[in-house]
Amino acid sequence: MKTIYKIFLLALISSGTLFYSCETTELEQLVSPNAISPEQADPDLLLNTIQRAYVTNAITFNDRGAELTRIDYMFGRDYFANYNSSTFDGVWSRSYSSIFANINIIEAQNEADGGGLEFHLGVSKALQAHTLMMLVDFLGDIPFSEALNPDEFPNPMLDDDATVYAAARAMLDEAKAYFAGASVGTATDFFYGGDTDAWVAMVNTLIMRHALTTGNISEFNAIVSTGNFINDSSLDFEFKYGTQLLNPNTRHPDYNADYTTSGANIYQSNWLIWTMQEADKTDGSDDDPRIRYYFFRQVDCTPGASCDPAGNGETLQCSLQTPPAQYAALGIPACFLEDGYWGRSHGNDEGTPPDNFTRTAVGVYPAGGLFDDNRFNGLNQDVGGLGAGIEPIILASYVDFWRAEVALAGGSPGAAAGFVEAGLTKSIAKVQSFGELDTTRDTSFEPDATTVSDFIAAKAALITDTSDDSWNALAEQFFVTMYGGGADSYNFYRRTGYPTTVFPNLDPNPGVFPRTFLYPSVEVIANPNITQRQDNNTQVFWDTQPAGPAFPPAN
Amino acid sequence: MAFVVQLTFAQDKTITGNVTDDTGLPLPGVNIIVKGTATGTQSDFDGNYSIGASVGQTLVYSYVGFTQQEIAVTASTSTVNVQMVPGTELEEVLVVAQGIKREAKALGYAVSTVESADIEQRTEGDVARVLSGKASGVQITSQSGTSGSATNVVIRGYNSITGSNQALFIVDGVPFSSDTNAQGNFLNGNVGSSRFLDLDPNNIESVNVLKGLAAATLYGTAGRNGVIVITTKSGGGGANKSAKKTEITVSQSFFVNEIASLPDYQDKYGNGFDQSFGWFFSNWGPSFNADGVDGYLNDPAGLIDAQGTLAHPYDTSAFLNNLNGGDNELANRFAGVRYEWRPYNSVENFFRTGDVVNTSINIRGNSDDGKLAYNVNYGHLDETGFTPGNNIRRNTLAVGGRAQLTNNFTVSATLNFSRNQVASPPVAASRGNGTLGFSTFANVFFTPRSVDLMGLPYTIPETGGSIYYRNGNDIINPRWTVENAGSTQLTNRVFGTAQLQYDFSDNLNLLYRAGVDFYNERNTQYSNKNGVNFNQAIFGQYITWDNNVRIWDHYLTLSGDYDITDDIGITFTAGATSRSRNFDQQGVQSDGQIVFGVLRHFNFLTQTPIQNTSFRNIVGVFAETSLDYSDWAFLTLSARNDWVSNLPTENNNQFYPSVSASFLPTAAFPSIRSSEWGLNYLKLRAGLGTSAGFPTGFPTVQNLNLAINVNGGANGPITTNAISGFRANPDLKPELISEFEVGFDSRFLNNRVNLNVSYFDRSTEDLIVFKPLAPSSGFTQTQDNIGKVEGDGWEVDLSVDLFKSDKEDGFNWNSRVNFTQSEQIVTEQEEDQILFAGSTAAFLGANAAIRGEQLGVIVGTRILRDDAGNFVVNSAGNYVTEDQVVLDDGRQITPIIGNPNPDYVMNFINTLSYKNFNLGFQFSHTKGGDIASSTIAVLLGRGLIVETEDRANTFILPGVSQSTGQPNEIQINNSQYYFSNVLFGPKELQVYDASVIRLQEVSFGYSVPKKWLEKTPFGSLSVTASGFNLWYDAYNTPDGANFDPNVAGVGIGNGRGFDYINGPSSRRYGLSIKASF
Repeated sequence: MKTIYKIFLLALISSGTLFYSCETTELEQLVSPNAISPEQADPDLLLNTIQRAYVTNAITFNDRGAELTRIDYMFGRDYFANYNSSTFDGVWSRSYSSIFANINIIEAQNEADGGGLEFHLGVSKALQAHTLMMLVDFLGDIPFSEALNPDEFPNPMLDDDATVYAAARAMLDEAKAYFAGASVGTATDFFYGGDTDAWVAMVNTLIMRHALTTGNISEFNAIVSTGNFINDSSLDFEFKYGTQLLNPNTRHPDYNADYTTSGANIYQSNWLIWTMQEADKTDGSDDDPRIRYYFFRQVDCTPGASCDPAGNGETLQCSLQTPPAQYAALGIPACFLEDGYWGRSHGNDEGTPPDNFTRTAVGVYPAGGLFDDNRFNGLNQDVGGLGAGIEPIILASYVDFWRAEVALAGGSPGAAAGFVEAGLTKSIAKVQSFGELDTTRDTSFEPDATTVSDFIAAKAALITDTSDDSWNALAEQFFVTMYGGGADSYNFYRRTGYPTTVFPNLDPNPGVFPRTFLYPSVEVIANPNITQRQDNNTQVFWDTQPAGPAFPPAN
Repeated sequence: MAFVVQLTFAQDKTITGNVTDDTGLPLPGVNIIVKGTATGTQSDFDGNYSIGASVGQTLVYSYVGFTQQEIAVTASTSTVNVQMVPGTELEEVLVVAQGIKREAKALGYAVSTVESADIEQRTEGDVARVLSGKASGVQITSQSGTSGSATNVVIRGYNSITGSNQALFIVDGVPFSSDTNAQGNFLNGNVGSSRFLDLDPNNIESVNVLKGLAAATLYGTAGRNGVIVITTKSGGGGANKSAKKTEITVSQSFFVNEIASLPDYQDKYGNGFDQSFGWFFSNWGPSFNADGVDGYLNDPAGLIDAQGTLAHPYDTSAFLNNLNGGDNELANRFAGVRYEWRPYNSVENFFRTGDVVNTSINIRGNSDDGKLAYNVNYGHLDETGFTPGNNIRRNTLAVGGRAQLTNNFTVSATLNFSRNQVASPPVAASRGNGTLGFSTFANVFFTPRSVDLMGLPYTIPETGGSIYYRNGNDIINPRWTVENAGSTQLTNRVFGTAQLQYDFSDNLNLLYRAGVDFYNERNTQYSNKNGVNFNQAIFGQYITWDNNVRIWDHYLTLSGDYDITDDIGITFTAGATSRSRNFDQQGVQSDGQIVFGVLRHFNFLTQTPIQNTSFRNIVGVFAETSLDYSDWAFLTLSARNDWVSNLPTENNNQFYPSVSASFLPTAAFPSIRSSEWGLNYLKLRAGLGTSAGFPTGFPTVQNLNLAINVNGGANGPITTNAISGFRANPDLKPELISEFEVGFDSRFLNNRVNLNVSYFDRSTEDLIVFKPLAPSSGFTQTQDNIGKVEGDGWEVDLSVDLFKSDKEDGFNWNSRVNFTQSEQIVTEQEEDQILFAGSTAAFLGANAAIRGEQLGVIVGTRILRDDAGNFVVNSAGNYVTEDQVVLDDGRQITPIIGNPNPDYVMNFINTLSYKNFNLGFQFSHTKGGDIASSTIAVLLGRGLIVETEDRANTFILPGVSQSTGQPNEIQINNSQYYFSNVLFGPKELQVYDASVIRLQEVSFGYSVPKKWLEKTPFGSLSVTASGFNLWYDAYNTPDGANFDPNVAGVGIGNGRGFDYINGPSSRRYGLSIKASF
């Protein structure tokens, strides 16, 4: 009997403890407390993700395009090595899993609710179509028909690039249909403040872009004739940055990079500056009126230039070196520019000397920095426009240059000159409007109206026929205009081969100019149905130019 | 009533006596039973006993380690004094799974034992590090020599790709969290101790390492990576044959803690590039001699004058000339000041000599009858690291007791409390240009020789900000870093157990045990503002968060032990257990410091909440039974079924059985056994074990992410929703690990040679892996059961008494060698590769699982090969890099550039004693295994160590020209080779064989003779001088780098074979005194 009591006691103690601890034996605890479930998705907040991801992609497309076309400086010599398979990892994952996947959720919600999310879907489809076109432009064939269906197609196959382009075109019609009668509601519209008319103009502009790229001139002209496209700077498709420094930092990324307490960190492209310096390199008076808005010089003299012919091995090593033969032959600067502009030429892969307080920084356009009024100092994180710049995506001025291209390709130099004039007028006006972001500027350094109009007239006058010179004049001004953007410069360059005047790579053998990029490693590693390219020679379906290295002429 | 009467009748005689050991000392705790009955007793502290028996019966005296003796009771028997004789077959008893004690001979698997003497009075406060090299099959890697840095403990190699491979720690029968909750990851900051640090090694009685699955089945899934079973002095309850009624032991140690891996910097050349001076990161400048082609007077930059001076960096600093328009204290103070062109030994002087002061007090006692025992242990550790800003302060208190009650209940409990404060300067990865994360060490290690780190002011008087030699002040001054930034982790931890056992009889008992392990880690990560380079340093940042971790463990078993016949015995245990772990993290991150120097949240502009919770329950039922036949054949069968809470019911459980057997030929066939110089003991063993692995987190339900304060540009902060890129997998199931093990334990040559050998072969199926998904499917990752890893290995433990004296104070020399070799191959895998540790950026490198390769091979960028396999060189004369290769079967992988798994690991441990002196030393040798070392790369790439002194010659890299395909003929100089190729070229060029020989420990001790202590209160007194990591040689790395490959560059986890300048290793030596009263 005694033993039984003892067992009873033991059982009581242990079961009592177990009772208190029943939470320790619970099973089926499957839901994470650290996230919400897909059923709780808010379409407004999904749209925010889509827009944010689209903007982040635009930055990458702009930067890579601009680097290859010398609007920005490219670090590193060999093209193939420079743009490795990680280059578009972020863009790729963001496109499919942040943009397209979330659009699918909005679509499903809209269907389930019997509508109500037309505005969201209009924006979504427009951005998706543009993203698909950009992916094709940079990468060629991409997955589309089997994408976003993991149950059936865990490893989607590639679709032909022309097919994807056509699908994007159809999506633009879808977008327009959604915008008819749509209202922004409680959603945040990053671009047009909920103005559906502006969105329709933007979608039409994307149709123009599609038509231009695929050579469908009649469709291009059809849109032009409606007059409903981005034909005014008020309709510029761009992302506006803020001035907030922390949590989150909403400033222009180039402002963040260059406006630091330890100086500037970006090198500007020598070719672009050199082009904008116009005929007289040492005298600023004939410079492109935008130059002081685009660039902020920290010093008035660059080692090696006529003001300091001895050079400086510490801050600009190449100022002591002989320029490579291909530069010497053309008489173009491989290392240093006149007038205090301090950038780098295409393909320079030197290490970083202590030049953060001497190299040329980004200016007030489009990064919201300082206006260059010869002050040659004062760069830090609290100056100028505080980064309240823009990420240009499609500006009205670009569209004028598209029309110029169509006109010149169609054998109408006069019309082309007119469009160049219109484009430059819009561009310079927009750029100049940024001047006021820098309230400390000395306005006497801003070009006056006459200087500007003379400049525009002179540039338009260069387009007289369909010769290389005319094309180069058009192309150079288009590229200068695209400073800060640049995604479309890569298309233009592959489409036309102009300008032929861009600086060559400092490496005499940089390999073939990339006609497409490598497939992103994130996809290739996981998807056995996509085989990585072994070179960058593959041409997109619309790229009918000769294969590399014969094309483009300035490699 | 009848039962009692019978007993009374039987005890017609009372026999008393005294039991002593072979040296004549009283032996308490000897079991004395009347043969064939349940009557028995134990000898007390003085070896005395008293037992009732009748004439004709036989008394059996038994004690572990001694031969059993039988003495017949005759009519004249009244006092029986017994001197026990040491057993020829040591019947060692080990604590195996779940606190079950088993005789070593009955085990069908390998168990390594480490005694307290090998653990006590060590300088490391981290018990895992103390165990380094002590047992075969156990691989211990320190994250670095930084005090309080984390430790990796892996037994029998890595088996799981993305699951944990860390060994389970069991302290006094219950799981002891050995988590490392790192602050950030290796790239953005990585400080955080492993929770081993909460246990005072001085309070450890013994450690058993259960390596195989057959041994660990009863621990369930938690034991799948091997188990380290620790019995603390408190947990042992104090019952010990040498224990007096009360014994107080005090030990006090003082150690010096120094940097061990200080590179051998060259002193011929200074700051600059291409033999031309400049305030660069690099040290490829002119010579410190005036003349010669590389002399500073021939420098084309011409900045150093004939007196060997140049403009002071704070005179020419563009940063200072820009600060306040150039009107600031430093610019004014250094205007026109000249600076001496000479080597400054900056790195050597930056590090300091740290110390370790360790106090341990242990009080233990027993009641006269040995039925009540208690133990109290207090430990205090005060450690300062060799890096400024690094220290540990720890207090531990442990109490334990056991009472054997008269009503057949035994109660025992332990309670441990520790308070542990670790402070560390910022630690993160660096490639050698200060860009990856905010870290102290990188900026110290590549200091150019002519930069006077310790002489230059490091604070801007006006702002409190960092200032350094670079013209643009774009590198953070490490002295500013250690003064203004860092991490602290304050841990308060309580863990304890309570156990209640009821003995139905001597043969059957019921046991319930509850264990709780609770800790709170209060983490702080901070930096004042006005630093440079890193946002947290520029704007100031203050993050505080608490990790509350709670583990509840319940355990209930019924155990029995019966003799079925005279020859056949059976023991069994059956029971149920539950283990519940809850992790709860709460905190705040503040950014944007307002007033310099004030580190409180109110002084920051913005706040972001930190909250993260996870929980998982595992419930198991298990049974184990052992049969033994005639003490020479043993068979153990065990099985367990686990249920886990984070998988759906269909897949939430796993059944896994094990079987093991041992056979003792020396007992079965006495004729082959020799009591002298032949074979003394042989045990053959074999085991087949299985275990399960379960996922962590909540992988089966799809999530949608919500983020606040996302950059909306001019729209300001926005909130976003996004479907998680992690695709939920409701079909996820447990992974199954199985292992076959055979081996033998043997002793021969008069027990002077001891050889134990094990071979194991294990495989893990249905591996739970974080599998990358094709992003075009809409998801980027999932967790899935894919693939199989198979491996095998050998473990050998050899012990030889080279000298063994018959006399107590004679000369003895014991040498032990343990050897471990194992290899794990990925044999099945659908994916081309899975990168599971490190970085997906190929220039940083990662550990990969690739079919047909060893698990964890290092992948990263390599030199481009042409079709014939030649290296390809570009037109500048540098190697071309490639980051992806296609295998013959079409798989596309990041190039394999190394294998971090060593060929073998061997330790050589010696113990010598003569009279009252003893000497011990331990050498460790790790053979093979690669490491990708950024430390070596930066020392070479920036021209800092003696290997780079030859600067006159040019190099032509072997390979073919990229443009012509012809052999490369382009000459490059020394700096271009090391800088553009080794440091910033293909990662492949940073990979070295990490073989290392190490003098792990040396100790020399003296015990004061007992007779000298007779008139003092001391029971014993000893003094030991010891040193740890006094010497090592990673003999396949450049000598000048003095690189120590014992680092975990990508943090604690499954990553290995990387060093990102995350911290030097430490060398310690000192003195300790131990006294007992």
